[in-house]
Amino acid sequence: MHNCLVIDLDRCSGCHSCEVHCKMQNKIDLGVYWNKVLIVGPTGTFPDIEQYALPMQCQQCADAPCVKVCPTGASYRDKKTNIVLINKAVCFGCRYCMMACPYGVRWYNEAEKVVEKCTLCPQLTSAGEKPACVHNCCTGARSYGDLDDPNSDVSQVIAAAGAENVHSLPDEGNHPSTHYILRQETATWRES
Amino acid sequence: MEGELEMTVMWTLVFFSLFAGLGAGLFVAVVVTEWRNRAEAVRFPAAATALAALIVGGISSVLHLGHPERIFNALNHPTSGIFLEFVFMGLAGLGIVVYMVMLARGSSDSSRRAEATVTAVPAVVLSFQVGHTYVMASRPAWDTIILPLLYMATAAVMGCCALSLFAAQKKEVGTTRRAAWATLISLAVELVLIIAYVAHLSSAPFADASRSADRVLSGNLAALFWIGLVLCGLLVPVVLSWLLRSQKAGWLSPFTSAAIALAAVLGGGIAFRALMFTLGSGVKQYFGGL
Repeated sequence: MHNCLVIDLDRCSGCHSCEVHCKMQNKIDLGVYWNKVLIVGPTGTFPDIEQYALPMQCQQCADAPCVKVCPTGASYRDKKTNIVLINKAVCFGCRYCMMACPYGVRWYNEAEKVVEKCTLCPQLTSAGEKPACVHNCCTGARSYGDLDDPNSDVSQVIAAAGAENVHSLPDEGNHPSTHYILRQETATWRES
Repeated sequence: MEGELEMTVMWTLVFFSLFAGLGAGLFVAVVVTEWRNRAEAVRFPAAATALAALIVGGISSVLHLGHPERIFNALNHPTSGIFLEFVFMGLAGLGIVVYMVMLARGSSDSSRRAEATVTAVPAVVLSFQVGHTYVMASRPAWDTIILPLLYMATAAVMGCCALSLFAAQKKEVGTTRRAAWATLISLAVELVLIIAYVAHLSSAPFADASRSADRVLSGNLAALFWIGLVLCGLLVPVVLSWLLRSQKAGWLSPFTSAAIALAAVLGGGIAFRALMFTLGSGVKQYFGGL
């Protein structure tokens, strides 16, 4: 089992509702993010201008450097779902996982003195529901499921998109699992 | 689109690695005096200072933690860099305590020398490991073996320089000269590694202005590099160690020369570590800097 997100950027309108629902579901403080919608662009010269929204969160790396460097074992991979999680009761706030993350998508919680990140809402998924960002995406751009299951939502969305339209963030040997779909007709993928 | 790339200097970690390097380097210098059968009067105060430096470094690293009371959770993951630092620092500290007890109780030269040599191993590894912990693909400016070697070189410089200070204080002329020579050789190695490190910055993948060689040599980090690292960390100790070696500093006592050289070397060590943190931007920093 390898659960992760697939985000269709052709559909994403950059409305930030995933961000808002993530905050509400996980009770995240103001100014802190586990999920953030970024805007790439505008690029090009008028009238050939491109821009797309890029929702960003933990990429659920298959070979997660945060898990490797964590001295306490607070950053760990859940054996059942293969999701990278943080046990905040064990974390001693050294922030090495933040240094090791190639994407800078972890956050230091100043109040609790521990590191946090997107968890893919296990409190919902364990009950058969979808993560809050997926469930509340207005445009249906976000999918969640098991990459190893060819019948899962994510596998089917990837298959339907075509390999040339499926992208991931730069891979430094960490193998990010989150996939982004962006067709050339919408914009040129720039995160390489 | 991305957040601010700049990484902030983590001062507690700067002082952790600085004092860990000083303690490790100084103790290894003491071990050399054991093997060369010199400067007996210097060994106990130098070993005690090395131990104190390791303790100060250890306290500094604990202050970095959000939850210091969970410090022993560091033993949960035996292959992480922090675990290895923890172990090597503990072994080196314990070994120095035993060495000091042996010195105080007047144990035989051979057994004391053997104990000191065994303790030198974790001390040397510690000086390397405090740099190696930062070698990670996510931080292109850090992702090179040159970085831990530089940490090792600065530990050697600090250790030799500190030994020359103790030797000068005890008026051990021969040892002062030899320690000054060793400082000069260590500084030469450090200079080569600094040049190699700047070359690495120019060729590292995912080039970015935040971690460029231009920023170090002529940008907003130039003052830290040229004044802090080159002038304070290299040139001043080179001149003073040269004078100490030749005993020509008539206007400065050997003790004063060695003291200024050590202060300059410590300043250079701080500059190097601050520079490293400032250059440590990630491949991508989507949520901002650290």
